[in-house]
Order: sequence, then C-alpha cells, then structure tokens
Amino acid sequence: MSAPSANALDRVQSGLAALNPKSIAARDGMPAFEIEAEQVREACRLLRDACGFETNTFVTAIDHFPAEPRFELFWQFLSVQHNDRVRLSARVTGAHPHVASIGDLYPGTQYSERECYDMFGVVFDGHTSHAGGLKRLLMPEGYDHFPLRKDFPHQGIEPDKLYNAWFQRRFERHEREHADV
Amino acid sequence: MPTFEYAPGLLPPRAKPSGGGADGDDPLHGELLELNMGPQHPATHGVLRILVELDGETIARIEPEVGYLHRGKEKTCESLGWRKFFVHTDRLDYVQPLMNNVGYALALEKLGGVTVPERGQIIRVLLCELSRIGSHLIYLATTGIDLGAVTMFFFCFKQRETLYDLLDAYTGHRMNNTYVRIGGVYADVDERVQDAIEQWIAQFPAAVDEFEKMLTGNRIWYDRNHGIGAITKEQALAWSLNGPNLRGSGCDFDLRKAQPYSGYERYDFEVAVGTGGDCYDRYLVSIEEMRQSARIVQQCLKLLKETKGGEFLAEDRRYVLPPKDLVRSSMEELIHQFKIVTDMALPKGSAYHGIESSKGELGFFVASDGTSTPLRCHIRAPGLMNVQAIPMVAMGRLFSDMVSLIGSLDFVMGEVDR
Amino acid sequence: MGSLKPVDEATTQEGFLATRVDELINWGRKNSLWPMPLGLSCCGIELMAMIGPKFDLARFGAEAARFSPRQCDLMVVAGTLTWKMAEAARVIYDQMPDPKWVIAMGVCSSSGGMYDSYSVVQGVDMILPVDVYVPGCPPRPDAVIDAIIKLQRKIEREQPLKARLSGANLDHGIGSKAFVRAPNHSVPTRGSHAVLPPGELAP
Ligand code: SF4
Repeated sequence: MSAPSANALDRVQSGLAALNPKSIAARDGMPAFEIEAEQVREACRLLRDACGFETNTFVTAIDHFPAEPRFELFWQFLSVQHNDRVRLSARVTGAHPHVASIGDLYPGTQYSERECYDMFGVVFDGHTSHAGGLKRLLMPEGYDHFPLRKDFPHQGIEPDKLYNAWFQRRFERHEREHADV
Repeated sequence: MPTFEYAPGLLPPRAKPSGGGADGDDPLHGELLELNMGPQHPATHGVLRILVELDGETIARIEPEVGYLHRGKEKTCESLGWRKFFVHTDRLDYVQPLMNNVGYALALEKLGGVTVPERGQIIRVLLCELSRIGSHLIYLATTGIDLGAVTMFFFCFKQRETLYDLLDAYTGHRMNNTYVRIGGVYADVDERVQDAIEQWIAQFPAAVDEFEKMLTGNRIWYDRNHGIGAITKEQALAWSLNGPNLRGSGCDFDLRKAQPYSGYERYDFEVAVGTGGDCYDRYLVSIEEMRQSARIVQQCLKLLKETKGGEFLAEDRRYVLPPKDLVRSSMEELIHQFKIVTDMALPKGSAYHGIESSKGELGFFVASDGTSTPLRCHIRAPGLMNVQAIPMVAMGRLFSDMVSLIGSLDFVMGEVDR
Repeated sequence: MGSLKPVDEATTQEGFLATRVDELINWGRKNSLWPMPLGLSCCGIELMAMIGPKFDLARFGAEAARFSPRQCDLMVVAGTLTWKMAEAARVIYDQMPDPKWVIAMGVCSSSGGMYDSYSVVQGVDMILPVDVYVPGCPPRPDAVIDAIIKLQRKIEREQPLKARLSGANLDHGIGSKAFVRAPNHSVPTRGSHAVLPPGELAP
C-alpha cells in the first residue's frame, strides 16, 4: 500500500484547480485546503467525482469567539482506493452562520451535520435526512443554546429546565386525574 | 457513481393496500403501527431510542434517536485541558477503554511532535489488541443474548473476566484504566503479568473455536443473521462506515495495514474480509479478528521479552511528567511537574489521527491555539456512523431482523453520544 | 386482638413457627429482590459482569433481572444519567410497583461524578429517592454485591405492617411532591468560559 498523502496533494490541487483553493500546512502533514464557504458543495462534488474520495470522515467546526470570522468549518475525507486523506476548511462569519449541506453527495455526513448544528448552531442549508430536516442530534429538542460555543459555560445554562417543565406538566396531569380521590 | 437503494431525505413510498390477494381483504392492511423502542431496552445495547413505523411486520420507516448519554465530552476537554482529558477518553467506548487512550495520545503526539519509544509502542499495541478482543467479546455476548443464545453471555464473560483480571494486575483497575500517557504508557508490564497474559492467550483460540461451535453452524444463528442487513461496499463507503462493517462488505481496508501507527507494520497478521456484507459476515469478521488479535498479542509478548528493560515513556520534558523519585528530590523537577500538570500547552495548529478501533475508525481531531486551553477536540466516533446506517439497512426489512442488525453493526452508546 | 387464641394441643404436635408478620414479609422481600438494571453506560458493563459467571449475583437471591420495570422492585441505576434520559428514568421508576428500592451504582449516578457538565444530572437523587450509594468509577462488582447486602439489612429494619396500618403515605410515585425541584438556574462557572445571560446567546 502506498504511504498516506503521497500524491493526495497533487491530485486534489489539480482536481480543485477551478476553485483555486488555498493550501494550508497542517501540523499532521495532511493535505489541507481552505476554500470559500460558498464553494463547499462544488468542492465536495469535485473531491468525490474527480479525486476519488469516497468517504467523509467528519464535519465539524471550531468557534473562534470573540474573533471574526467566528466559525471555522472542517470537512475531512478519506479515499480508500488511494489510501489518503484530505481536509477542507472554510470560515463563516456571524453568530448564525449558514453553509450548504453536502448530505446528498455524502450521505454519511447527515449525522455529522446535525451534530454540528446541535453543538454550534451552524445551519446547513438544504440538509435532508431520514429524520426530516436539520434537527438537534444530541441535546434534547427544544434546548435553547449551543453547547460547544465558547460563550456557553461548561456547567450549562438551565440544564434542568426541560426536565422540570416536563415533570411539572406530568404532576399537574396526575393531580387533575386524581382530583376526586 | 454509486446508487443508493435508499435516497436520503426521501422516505420510500408507504405501502398501499394491494387489493386482492390474501392480505387485500384485511381491513388493517396498509395501516401503519408506530412503535417506540428504547431508550431503555435490552436489545438497543445502551440508551438508544428507535422509532419505527411498522406495516404488518415490515419496517416502513425508522428513525434512531441518540443523545441519551451525551455528557459533553468535547466541552469537558476544553475546560480540563489536554492532560486531564485522558480519563474521559476511557469512558467513550467503555468496552475498550485502553484503545481510546491510545487514539487520543496519538493525536496529541502528532500535534506536539512526540516520538514514543519502542517498548512503549509495543505495550500500546498489546493493550489495543487485548481491548479489541474484549470489545468483540461484549458484542458476541450481548448479541447472543438478544438472539436467544444466552449461553454465549456466560462463555464470553468467562473469558472477559480473565481479561479483566489481567488488566487489573497490570493497571490496578478492571476497566476504565487510563494507563496511556503522552509519550508512552504509565508503567511497564510486569513479567508475571506477561506470563499470565501468555497463558491466557494460549488458550484463547480454543475458546474462539468453542464460540464458533456454538454459533457458526447453528441453524438459528445462521437464519437470523444470514442475508440480513446486507450492505454493499459502495453503500458502506458512502455512509462513512469503517472497520468490521466495511470489511464485512468485502473491502480490505484496515488502518492498521493501510496507515500503520504504533509500529503495526512489524506485526504479522491478516485482515479479515467478508463477502456479502450481511450480519453473518460481520459476525465472521469479528470472530476472525479475535483470532488475529490473539496472534498479535503473542508477537507483542515476544517483542516485550526482547526489549526488556527498554524505555516505555518518552523523555520529552515538554509533555511528560518527570519520574517520581526525581520530583521528590529536586526542586526544579517539582516545579516542572507542576507546570505540566497545571498548564501544558500544545503548539498552535491542528492534527487528526484515526486508529482502527473494534468498531471502525476512531479519530481525534485536536486543535490548539498555543495556549494551555484546548481550542477544540473533536471525537470522530465510529459508533455514530454505525447508528446512522441503521435506517439505510433496516428499511423494508422485518422488524425481528432489527435485533440482529443492531447487534452486528456494533456500537456503544458512550461513544455515539460522547 | 380478640381473635387471638391459645395454641392448642394439635398444633403443638404438628410443630409451628413463631414469627412476626413484619419479619416474615421482610424476609421474603429481602431474599427475592428483582433488580431492574438501568444500565446507562460503563457501569452497566460491570453490572453485566456482576450477573455473569464469576460474581454470580444469584447467590444473593437477586439475579432475576427483568427489563420490564413492572416486574421489579430494585432499580440499579448504573451509569451516567443525563437530563435527556432523566424523563425516561423517572417514568421507569414510577412504573415499578411498591415497595421499591434504588441503588445508585457508581459516582456518576451518586453525584454526577467526573461529569460536571451541562447535560448530566448531578446525582440521581435529584430526581429519585436513593437507598444505597456505591462509590467507584466503576465500582467493582464486589462493591455492588456489598451494596445489595446493605440494602437487605435495610429492608430487615423496615416495618411494613406498621406503616400499612398507620396509613402513612408511602407513595414515592408521581403523586409525591418530594421531587418536583425548584429551578436551579444560577449555575457557577468554571474554566475560561464566561456566563452570558441566556437572552444574549439564543438564536
Ligand atoms: S461512575 Fe465511572 S464507570 Fe460508572 S458510569 Fe460513571 S464514568 Fe462510567
């Protein structure tokens, strides 16, 4: 087997030439490119069709709060046939960023995108999944905050709010039903 | 371009009453029954919740819901710092704690540029392979119970108990051991422990034979697994499956061979590959992986004998604590230890390292801004991808197949939810 | 008490056992605990080991683990309870028939343990009454067996008949107000993160 990343750099550079990506020297030696947030779909399509990257490894983000552009998004891909990896990154601004979903190109990103939305509040436009649309993945539906943002405290904000509300409702229903007893 | 049987976002058309035929007269035919499985259900292997819509016995719609064990690990890493997060990695995939330690340590070492001494690498491989065996034992035990082979639980736990004892003798605790550090492992493997492992691993292939005698030719096991939940290679790749789930579909991609880490290239072992990609193939792959792991363990023990007395922890004073006796006798070393424990910073930048865990590619994506507060630690959990694949595989199948399917996709909720 | 009558000759011939009703009931209860294993995470694996061949919980009469709460009287909360799971745990607890006992296995379920984070319940006793706490991460199976013995001792001391006759409200279920908690919204901070008022964070 070839050593990882032996020719991935060239392959990706020629594959993505039309988008003119900025090559980044990552500390782990993996070919990494920075692209514009609008080009994500096109870049991922090219990676899949022209460069032979079949598998998405993860989609995630880094919150650079309070710096702007605030969020840095990452997509990492693995090519099983060439045995190498590539990582794309894009920066988006503002507290409520939007970026295009690649869930239809790589179905394996559905949960990663939902998780990224759940944790950072990054909205993936056009996200479709078997859950029907972009929903929270790990935190309960109805939670108000995005936990992995840097301005969210580790110990949380009202962590028991949903539970208490649920218990109160249940308790009141119980009282109503057993009012005559 | 691969085509999918199941297009994302488009639920397959709901079954319509066919009119005529045996079922056509049934007034309830075509009516969907909603069923909730979990979050507390023995067959979901943890706190997974699955919502299904059934048409008769056929699954018409299925949606897993995760997050019932979300403990905020990634946030915890940002609060605690790089070193103290080690204990939290154990609790990711808690049936193979030491393997998670290794994955995390490798990512940090990549970011910090640390080289692990040879003996440290050998011990790590030993721990990884013991963990892999332990993890597959849990898979066999729990799936066995779910499919009616309750004896498997006792067979597997008998082996696992001995494994616990070995790890107990080495690390001092049965599980959640946290014995890997940046730059190597915490302590050397004692000779007596080596002998005990050697004895145990010598009888282990016979135990695997016993499992196989129980299951492989077993009519019930075969019928409930064979042809169930088949995944093609293209599907597996598109849905980000790795590990036994990908290899069961006939793709011989194993990170231990393809992108070797911790010196895996020097061990002689084969990659187990299936053909059909169904539950039965995944079961066979797991069985074969246990045998191969046993082989690797034996080679590790041999190498440990050869490198006796060697270094097992790097002498890298940026990240590695000074030895305890020096700390007790020298002021500088004490201050040094204090510095490392309180604010150890990794260089600015980001790094990813993926290891072949028993469930797929376990990756850690770590990013540092040069200060002692971690910027980000993303955990690429193979289990999450395995859960994600459930709807793709289970759609249109019988409800009773779900149990074998969930068992064979093999995930642990601690890792799925993080 | 007028219905008590002296032991007659015939009974003495057959032999009889003198005991108190309380003791009889307690003896039955303590030796046939049916655990409901609420295996949430890592501790659940140790719970399996405890039922497994080496530690063999059957020796203490508590091996009949059932996954239906309606058949159980001992809930072993083994693992980390999150606020998302708390609703399910509470429903399971309410479904168990009285009398019922709870063992909090591991530091996570005892106090939140190492997870001082935004999604973890800081001890199951926030939502359920707990009888025995077992420290350890995870506790060794021996420790949990010890907890079961302790629970048996506790059951021995109970006075079910008296409680029944005195008409005390023994209800731990939905009807009990004990566990409707006051909202605890002022959580302290830690690490480098600052708390902002919720209004400034929400989308
Ligand atoms: S106490 Fe420890 S072992 Fe038990 S669930 Fe919590 S973290 Fe896991």
